[in-house]
Amino acid sequence: MHRALLPFEFSEPASVEEAVALVDGGRARALAGGVDLVLKMRLRQETPERVVSLQKIAGLDHVRVDAHGGGALHIGALATLRQVEQSAAVTQGWPLLAEAIASIVSMQTKVMGTLVGNLCVGTPASDVAPALFALGARVKIAGVGDERDIAVEDFFLGPGVTAVRPHELVTEVVVPARPVGSAGRFLKLSKTADDIAKVNVAVSVAFSRGTCAHARIAIGSAAPTPVRAVAAEELLLREDWCPATAKAAAEAAARSVRPISDVRSTADYRAEMVKVLVRDALTQAADGAGVLDGHDGKEA
Amino acid sequence: MTNEPHSEFSSVGKSLARPDVAAKATGAARFSADIALPGMLIGRILTSPHAHARIVAIDTSRAKALPGVAAVITHADVPKRGFTRSVMAEGLPPFAYETENLDQYILSDKARYIGDWVAAVAAVDLYVAERALDLIEVEYEVLPAVFDPEDALAPGAPVVHKGWKDNVAGVIEHPFNRGDLDAALASSAHVAEFSGRNSRQKQAHMEPDAAIASWDDKGRLTVWSPSQNAHLAKKAMGRRVFDIGEGNVRWITPAVGGGFGARLSFGVEPVAAMLAKVTGRPVKVLVTREEDFNGWNSRTEQRQTIRVGVGEAGEITAIEQDVLSDSGAYFSHSGTISAVNMQSTLGVMRSPVVRGKALMVYTNNPTASGMRGYGNPEGSFILQQALDIAAEKCGMDPVDFRLKNARGPGEPSMWEPQAITTCALPECIRRGAVAIGWDQKWHGWGAGKEGRYRRGVGMSIMTHASGAGGFLLEHSTAVMKLDEDGTASLSVSPCEMGQGILGVLAQIAAEGAGLRYEDVRTVTGDTDVTLFDIGTHASRSTYAIGNAALDAARKVKAIVVERAARMLGVESEGLDVRDGRVFAVADSSVGVSVAEVAHAGIYEYGTDARHIMATGKHQSVMHCPNFQAGFAEIEVDVETGVIKVLKLVIAHDIGRAINPLTVEGCLEGGAAQGLGYALTEDLVIDKGTGKVVSDSFATYKMLSALDMPEVEVILVEEPDPTGPFGAKGVGETGITNVAPAIANALYDAAGVRVHSLPITPEKVLEALRAHGAGA
Amino acid sequence: MAKEIATFIVNGQGYEVIVEPHMLLIDVLRDSIGLVGTKYGCGAGDCGACTVLLEGKPVFACLTLAVTARDRSLTTIEGLADGAGLHPIQQAFVDAGAVQCGFCTPGMVLTTKALLDENPEPTRGEIKAFLAGNLCRCTGYVKIVEAVESAAGILRNGGAR
Ligand SMILES: Cc1cc2nc3c(=O)[nH]c(=O)nc-3n(C[C@H](O)[C@H](O)[C@H](O)COP(=O)(O)OP(=O)(O)OC[C@H]3O[C@@H](n4cnc5c(N)ncnc54)[C@H](O)[C@@H]3O)c2cc1C
Ligand code: FES
Ligand code: FES
Repeated sequence: MHRALLPFEFSEPASVEEAVALVDGGRARALAGGVDLVLKMRLRQETPERVVSLQKIAGLDHVRVDAHGGGALHIGALATLRQVEQSAAVTQGWPLLAEAIASIVSMQTKVMGTLVGNLCVGTPASDVAPALFALGARVKIAGVGDERDIAVEDFFLGPGVTAVRPHELVTEVVVPARPVGSAGRFLKLSKTADDIAKVNVAVSVAFSRGTCAHARIAIGSAAPTPVRAVAAEELLLREDWCPATAKAAAEAAARSVRPISDVRSTADYRAEMVKVLVRDALTQAADGAGVLDGHDGKEA
Repeated sequence: MTNEPHSEFSSVGKSLARPDVAAKATGAARFSADIALPGMLIGRILTSPHAHARIVAIDTSRAKALPGVAAVITHADVPKRGFTRSVMAEGLPPFAYETENLDQYILSDKARYIGDWVAAVAAVDLYVAERALDLIEVEYEVLPAVFDPEDALAPGAPVVHKGWKDNVAGVIEHPFNRGDLDAALASSAHVAEFSGRNSRQKQAHMEPDAAIASWDDKGRLTVWSPSQNAHLAKKAMGRRVFDIGEGNVRWITPAVGGGFGARLSFGVEPVAAMLAKVTGRPVKVLVTREEDFNGWNSRTEQRQTIRVGVGEAGEITAIEQDVLSDSGAYFSHSGTISAVNMQSTLGVMRSPVVRGKALMVYTNNPTASGMRGYGNPEGSFILQQALDIAAEKCGMDPVDFRLKNARGPGEPSMWEPQAITTCALPECIRRGAVAIGWDQKWHGWGAGKEGRYRRGVGMSIMTHASGAGGFLLEHSTAVMKLDEDGTASLSVSPCEMGQGILGVLAQIAAEGAGLRYEDVRTVTGDTDVTLFDIGTHASRSTYAIGNAALDAARKVKAIVVERAARMLGVESEGLDVRDGRVFAVADSSVGVSVAEVAHAGIYEYGTDARHIMATGKHQSVMHCPNFQAGFAEIEVDVETGVIKVLKLVIAHDIGRAINPLTVEGCLEGGAAQGLGYALTEDLVIDKGTGKVVSDSFATYKMLSALDMPEVEVILVEEPDPTGPFGAKGVGETGITNVAPAIANALYDAAGVRVHSLPITPEKVLEALRAHGAGA
Repeated sequence: MAKEIATFIVNGQGYEVIVEPHMLLIDVLRDSIGLVGTKYGCGAGDCGACTVLLEGKPVFACLTLAVTARDRSLTTIEGLADGAGLHPIQQAFVDAGAVQCGFCTPGMVLTTKALLDENPEPTRGEIKAFLAGNLCRCTGYVKIVEAVESAAGILRNGGAR
């Protein structure tokens, strides 16, 4: 065990192109806020020969709404969690995302850590990921001379493994405008307020005449990656909304997870809690979307 | 004059600011790791990756060849002198010290847990030291290991220490066993039984261990480290670890970032001393938080069964306690903590028949030790639930059951040969019950609550020692001297680790001598200056060291009065001293300042010069028990098993609160640790490998500010004639009642009991399922 | 970049220090510059004892590569008080009994500074949320939250009590 880092080379490129040329995914690693990478380097879980800081690249720290692109939210690779959480655009337009970030309570972590870095860690326990899944976000990845754009669900490949390939960097996360009349809810169970989730759930729903017209359910910490509960979403779109539907959807969601036992919780408990959290989140979001008092389908 | 409480006092009973805190708020305070000496090297320790392995060979040549490395040492380089990590054990009477196992060396020749110390390096800086660690090559022969104390007792189990072939590290019979247990239980109207175990709570002092050692040209060793008992550490270092004599060791205790019992053991001091000896330079040894979690301190895991017999009228007829302690790889505090568990647990309730027995067992788990409460939070978790079960069997309210059966004044204390002098427990119970709203919220046994969120209330009581009298050597000496300007230095030996003892002792001494609080400096932290004392533990400093300080202060006052009388040409009988002025009680315009008296004493050109000073002493074979009642109100979500604590109430029998703010802070902090112990804190060890899985604050979860519920502290003041101004101890106690009160509240809310700590949602849900309730 | 002489602006004063990329800000502050008020509690971002203000924002010095803080304004606990007296936040911590062992205190005080700079009138809930990344093993946070409330009041009054 170590208290100091091993020596490495350090670069501070000024552009994405230069940075992409340097990061090879193995020997050379990108550094955003450093919250995760520096710790892993101290613990010798990562031993890069070169660290490529993205901090000097201009134009990556934005959180802005693109009025021309259908009102989508663009979050740059250097935008910190705190910046996103405090952005008025986010709290008004995508409160689900702000709610998820608020569940990360360590202020210093949010001041240093970037939202993109949080995703790039590739942990299934990310609190940001389920919210972005539920909001249908996309991830922009720059390579040498090209750029691709994938759905956030396709970004997570396994614990600690993401779709970022050697000589690639995430430049932006794009969150589309929220479906009309939709409401979301993020719920998290953890040992203490400042802990990583045992299970977390994000849902986004909208209703039309008592039935779900839009439903997205995402679950974290209950499988090797964050997952979308597609079968549960389909069930919601099919059935009339009532408490039993929420319960049935929650049971369906529980069939889409593969939890494990670890230091934070047990597989059994997690599986059970997926049911409780999905049902509670759906019920509370439905309330927010106005289905209970017949105001569904209308702009809030 | 006014009718505010204790207005007869100038300092005592007031929430005066402590002398050490401003420097802590500005960053000026120096903790051990903050100190740098000229020529100092940095030391780091290589730990074993195997839980049980023979060290076949260690090749240090590559590490030694690295530029900047001054020394690499292994077991071959250290004295072949066994010692125990428990420095506190030095205070045991000889017959008891003999039962301590001297099973440890500075570096081990065999790894007995993951994290055991195998080699150490001293180098010019941290970076070189750690690179050198990476270059040490150790050849291990991995041996079968055992991680469960019950498995360790089975025939054929791996042997952790050659000298203890059956892994039985020790057996203790409770010294106050009496009566025929089987007969008493057989003839009882009811027998309540509860079994369970506590978690290995980490002390988790925020300051990681660190130690600096330096030898002078005459072979005298100076150590800087956060020790809770420097004088005993000095002895252990001079007499056990090395054979150099106590006089050749000087121990300096800088600011201490929390202790909670961890620092009653050696940390890295022996390694620092060895490295400094080999290199001839000062060495500072540093550790990481992960190493600390994998290492050498935590609450001892104890598996216990308690049976309580009760008669028709709800009177306790017998109590039996059976304790199985997992010592871990080395004996450390496991014996003394098992003994103290039984004394405090079996010492709170009146019972004609008592039977207690403890067995300590070696395993390949990390070495345990003692933590705040020292056995009491372990035993209380079991006893207080057994008491509720007994109360339910008799159909009695838990409050009434405890009021009826708790020991009171004149009855034997937890250290039975001594009687209880004062006991405000009934008052604590009554006021605590009011504060939690017991009469409104407790609806009787089997209240059958419904719904997803169910509320419940629970309670617990305890007694704890104020000082170690009866168990350990218990004496303390204070020296107080007056400077020319009438200010005073009070030289005493507590460890200021946050509890505010420097201020409290200054308040006591100022009051006793008639000085102003701000004119008394508490001097501590250097064994070359202070006189012998067993250190800061056993909730003893205010009581025991306070008594010594008060004795010294009163003697100083007597000298001042006597010399002032001569200066004023009056009789000394009619004089008093207050706030730095000597005055005639009959006519306060007649007087002289203490400064003038002190100055005149030193600058006396005839034959009567005197630097006014006095030595005060406390020695006792008793420990002035204090008492406490704790209450909790909780709400449990039966679908998730999550317990939300709505309120905690701690009502403590303090005797006299010398500094109420400090006492409150102490109990609030204790309550937070108790809440963590109850609900979240758990040193999780992998059952297959013996690896600590929760080896960081990210996985070992203590409470954050957001997790704290309302805590109401009630101080019940009934001055004890043996304490300084009536004060009793409090330091360890805030932690003890929380877990049992919550456990009992859970039963009230949802009708289930969880048998192991922490009480996690996972366990609650499982218990609810087994009970056929909940989701 | 390998070894270089870099400038750190700590508490308004420039320091030239030899740094290498693998050095952490906490070690540069403590060992190279000699400002040991910043505490090392975990080295993992879990305790907040190492909190310093980087351009006014609270960060973990234990997870910051020193090279990334070159030429940027840093505030450590030593830089809070103006002159010999205590800063109102420090005074509030002392008065409220919010300091026990004091090991968490530098980080707590600086995090409080960041909070009150951003939100001069925080609620109890906002205080607890802002401080939730700073662990204290001694106090149970009760008196820390009280201290922050009282410091906020004093600072709103222009520093007077
Ligand atoms: C005390 C604490 C509490 C926490 N609590 C939570 C919590 O409750 N919930 C939660 O979800 N998270 C939590 N986290 C995790 C935290 O949110 C992330 O570690 C942080 O956001 C990572 O961002 P960063 O900018 O610091 O990433 P870095 O550490 O800089 O990078 C992380 C990884 O991503 C790579 N990377 C970074 N940027 C890019 C990019 N643009 N393109 C490609 N790869 C890149 C790096 O190479 C590295 O491998 C916590 C962390 C701490 C220390
Ligand atoms: S030392 Fe940096 S967060 Fe603990
Ligand atoms: S005062 Fe000791 S850790 Fe906070």
